[in-house]
Amino acid sequence: MTSKQLPHEPYNIIITGVGGQGNVMASRILANMLVKKGYYITIGESFGASQRGGSVMSHIRISERSNWSPQIPKGRAHAVIALEPTEGIRILKDYGNPNVILLLNTRPIYPVAVIAGEIEYPGLDEIKNSARDLASKVWFIGASDEAIKLGNPILGNIIMLGALSGVSDLPLENEDFKEVILSTIPPDQLDINLKAYDIGKRKVGLPL
Amino acid sequence: MPHLIESGEGAQYLLMGNEAIARGALEAGVKVVTGYPGTPSSDIVERLAKVAIKMNLYVEWSTNEKVAMEVAAAGSLSGVRSMCVMKQNGVNVASDFLLHLAGSGTRAGMVLVPCDDPGALSSANEGESRYFARLFEIPLLEPGDFQEAKDMTRWAFELSESIRNPVTLRSVTRMSHASGNVTFGDIPSEDVHAEFQCNGFMLDPMQGPALSMPVIYRHTEQQKKIKKAREIFENCPFNTYRGPDKPELLIITSSACSLYSREAIRILGVENTVGLLKLGTTWPLPPKLVKRYLSKTDKILIVEEVLPFLEESVKILAAESAYEIGIKRFYGKNDGIIPSVGELNPDLVAEALAQILAIDYQPVSDEYAEKAQRLATLQVPPRELTFCPGCPHRASFWSIHNALQLDGRKGFVCGDIGCYSLAMLPCGFNTLKTLHSMGSGAGLASGFGKLGSFGFTQPVLAVCGDSTFFHAAIPALINAVHHKSNFTLVVLDNGGTAMTGFQPHPGLEINALGEEVPSVDIAEVCKAMGAKVEIRDPFDLEGTRETLNQLIEDKHGLKVLILRQICALSPEKRAGKQYEMTIDEQLCLGDRCGCNRWCTRIFRCPGLVWDQQKRVTRIDDVICTGCGICADICPEGAIKRQEVA
Amino acid sequence: MKVFGPSELLEDVLDKDLCIGCGACINLCPYFRSYRGKTAILFPCTLPEGRCWAYCPKVHVDLNELSKRFFGRAYDENPLGFHRSIRISKAGGHIANASFQAGGTVSALMSFALSKGYVNAAVLTDRDGLLPIPRIAVSPKDVLACSSSKYTAAPTLSALNQAIRGGYDHIGIVATPCQTLAIAKMRSNPMGDKDFFDPIDLVVGLFCTWAVDFRAFESFISERIDMDKITKIDIPPPPAEIMEVYIGTGKIEIPLDEIRKLVPKGCNYCMDMTAEFSDISVGVLEGRPDMNTIIIRTERGEKIVDKAQKEGFLILDDIPRENLEHLVWAAGNKKKNAFIKAKQEGLLTPREKGAR
Repeated sequence: MTSKQLPHEPYNIIITGVGGQGNVMASRILANMLVKKGYYITIGESFGASQRGGSVMSHIRISERSNWSPQIPKGRAHAVIALEPTEGIRILKDYGNPNVILLLNTRPIYPVAVIAGEIEYPGLDEIKNSARDLASKVWFIGASDEAIKLGNPILGNIIMLGALSGVSDLPLENEDFKEVILSTIPPDQLDINLKAYDIGKRKVGLPL
Repeated sequence: MPHLIESGEGAQYLLMGNEAIARGALEAGVKVVTGYPGTPSSDIVERLAKVAIKMNLYVEWSTNEKVAMEVAAAGSLSGVRSMCVMKQNGVNVASDFLLHLAGSGTRAGMVLVPCDDPGALSSANEGESRYFARLFEIPLLEPGDFQEAKDMTRWAFELSESIRNPVTLRSVTRMSHASGNVTFGDIPSEDVHAEFQCNGFMLDPMQGPALSMPVIYRHTEQQKKIKKAREIFENCPFNTYRGPDKPELLIITSSACSLYSREAIRILGVENTVGLLKLGTTWPLPPKLVKRYLSKTDKILIVEEVLPFLEESVKILAAESAYEIGIKRFYGKNDGIIPSVGELNPDLVAEALAQILAIDYQPVSDEYAEKAQRLATLQVPPRELTFCPGCPHRASFWSIHNALQLDGRKGFVCGDIGCYSLAMLPCGFNTLKTLHSMGSGAGLASGFGKLGSFGFTQPVLAVCGDSTFFHAAIPALINAVHHKSNFTLVVLDNGGTAMTGFQPHPGLEINALGEEVPSVDIAEVCKAMGAKVEIRDPFDLEGTRETLNQLIEDKHGLKVLILRQICALSPEKRAGKQYEMTIDEQLCLGDRCGCNRWCTRIFRCPGLVWDQQKRVTRIDDVICTGCGICADICPEGAIKRQEVA
Repeated sequence: MKVFGPSELLEDVLDKDLCIGCGACINLCPYFRSYRGKTAILFPCTLPEGRCWAYCPKVHVDLNELSKRFFGRAYDENPLGFHRSIRISKAGGHIANASFQAGGTVSALMSFALSKGYVNAAVLTDRDGLLPIPRIAVSPKDVLACSSSKYTAAPTLSALNQAIRGGYDHIGIVATPCQTLAIAKMRSNPMGDKDFFDPIDLVVGLFCTWAVDFRAFESFISERIDMDKITKIDIPPPPAEIMEVYIGTGKIEIPLDEIRKLVPKGCNYCMDMTAEFSDISVGVLEGRPDMNTIIIRTERGEKIVDKAQKEGFLILDDIPRENLEHLVWAAGNKKKNAFIKAKQEGLLTPREKGAR
């Protein structure tokens, strides 16, 4: 039933961000696209902190054989989608390795200590350098900015999924996306979501 | 999102563990489902509530877990399959009834589903529900993956009926909130008829009265039931083994730990030396089965969360049968190779394995690890938890904190469980000084309020939410009135059980199914008790603070201040902003004497951002929900609010 | 004088229980507030330098510097402080009848200054029951409503700060010695503000040996007397040694020794009995309950007193020698006792010289 062989068995993806960015929705969409292709998918998440300013991450295991642990072992992420820049680095600290690929949304969400003026948020260039240092390939995407242009910041997560489809070997075609998204959102939102997915796909040229 | 009832047998979906449990219950023909909101368990009841009308189920968010269990038991005793859902410490609340229910026995299948939270990801404790199985002599099942979560739930009802006893199916956060592939079974379409048959012979388990007495008789019967369960477990398909016939090391595990263990074996490449016995029936242990596997090797590692429950059961069995199977070397929590606190993960299990088998385990090279650690330390700021923008609790604790500072007699607040528990952090101005279980804030306050004769002069306050009020605070309040304890309770009424997902409770006119129902008025209940009651809007900061100071100075008995303002996440609030907020940069003093960032640094709403360059505050329009109260705290009147048309 | 900030203020004054609730730090910012006579800090402020410290009369103060600024000469040990003349006085016929304390000199002076436009606002202390309430008076009628002594420490300077924020630029104020010291500090531009402007035009100081803490006093009195019935409180001059509390039907006498237990700790280290940093200081006159002692210190004070006398607002006379001698003795005694206690407590070493 599976159409392509996975680059790794299981293939491990982490989607990370700050509560409220649509982390959970993105992981569900991605997972459901792949379940339809006959893969075993395991998702590990913790909610609770999500609405109240904390970091969130979804661990997604894609396997041809079975379900796996909902937590990816240390150093074994194959792809990381970071909806927030510093969260991307935070994930690489525990789950990164020299071969990981990283898609990084460049728009910061400031923690309370930063907006209270107590600590400084690192400069984007610093973060980009670290990202290049810690990943084998990295793409910097202004997903939130594009989403705001479309009229809804939360579409950033869809754009990032589109970007993943553009860079990875996983079967993540537009038709699969369309089928899954229709069961998630009201029909009048379909076009804008498809547009967002497409923008993501086109935003990934050569890795930097 | 899969619709729980839309597909039939053979369909495969990606389901959360909780959804799988819900589906399993439907496939078993459950009819009565009760619970109290508690992460990570709440989704089970929520999913079933959504399909309740269509599937003719009765689904209830009960006042607390004890009542929830009693309501479910009524279903079972009337011949209708029932399920009761809660988080780990909910079982503590229900435990007295559970003890007696295990004595009286049940009739139609009744399954108790506690969802534990190892590592306390959303709890104030990492207590264990599994020990109640041993303590009250109730069979305990633990699903090891998502398919099992469904299949075991379905089977649990049959098991319960075959022994006429409640059955516990224990999940954990990493099972309940994780997702995996599940193949559906069929949902029966049967009519049920509820009737409590109670006029038969006193000891008749199906037609007599439901009594936990005569105790010795009942207890003897109960132990026979456990013996029967044990025999059933010997052949249970949920106890599985994978690995070599003669492993060097045997892992015995259950629940999500079986997934971690399987992963750890694979990471280290020791599939040919390490066997994995995954138990789905963890109490009572099936002795023949366990002994069979214990005999395969001398080295046994037990992997579980959180306490060494399984470890102790296995060790007892091993000690009793040592003359048969030989002396074993055990590894687990007691010797420290598996951490004794917190949740587990594949790495911790891999480290344990590596240590026992004397092999190397290194997730990444030292060089990468050092580099990643260094960069993360420099660049990754901590993210503190905070109240949502527009949260009434921020306003309430602002007033409570300031009232206590003005009072000046070292007053303090006893905290309770809910979103407002965060008030022990800077977002709530570090106001909470005690935090234990549901309703314990009022209970502690009732005690502190009686220490005057020992020279105690500090003003005593307690806080509780509207849901917590009904769950557990009422007995403590009655205690306070009756014993003339001097304290002030602040009820933070935001119109729902917010922290767990905004479920309804008896203070609202709506139930789990969305139907209109009578509500119970908190103010009237407190007045009926004889407390002095005031109601304020927490967004009226000065009015609230003034009222608090007056109540704190009143030395006579229990005072209740209800601060009523709806949660920022409620549908009404989310619909739109009430105010458009702006900053007049000319008036803003910023970090100068006269302000020193009062709004960003002290008040700390995420919608107020400190602009390092301009040295003034600005509003983050995306985050700001337009509640408007920051305009009232600015000493210079620089924060402006404009009503949105 | 080096200026420190609120953390130091907390350490040096509030945590040491030396605060006397004068109100100098209140209404400058949202951190300090007064509630029922007690000054509280709501949250910690981290600024290294603040007006709260700069204005507080209970941190280290360079009296020499202040004396040079206001009187043009170094601070000396004259028990009564620098002055041009000392007389006795009472309100003149031009003042409407009100419930004065003693001679009514303070009310007369302030309502005169206001009605003639020497000041456009007068900062006074009113009361609600026993609770002192700072007020900004803009008419002579408002002034008279605030007449009568209050023996409780009051955060009057919070109203001064409010008046300054409100844009009043010719302010008169009636203040206790600790408050006049704070006012002197305020007027010396301690923060080095380039656009500094002194909006205070008349400081009338009150003699004070000690005050009582409001909360302690309220608690003490309420156990003995129905608070609603109190119409007036008085402490007659020695050798009476009593406090008189007037209720509708008569008066109740309380031994002063009991009242002294209610004095805030900070008062014990205060060396100023006659409000040395004022334009005019006013107090009782022993043996003459209808008169005041009046000390005239500055040129401005002298002008206003002369005019008030000429226009019939004030009646003046010479001070009898006995009274003057006793005044000097009493003021000197307060200085001596305070100095000894302060030295014992180690309170005489300024922060920058490494104390604490």
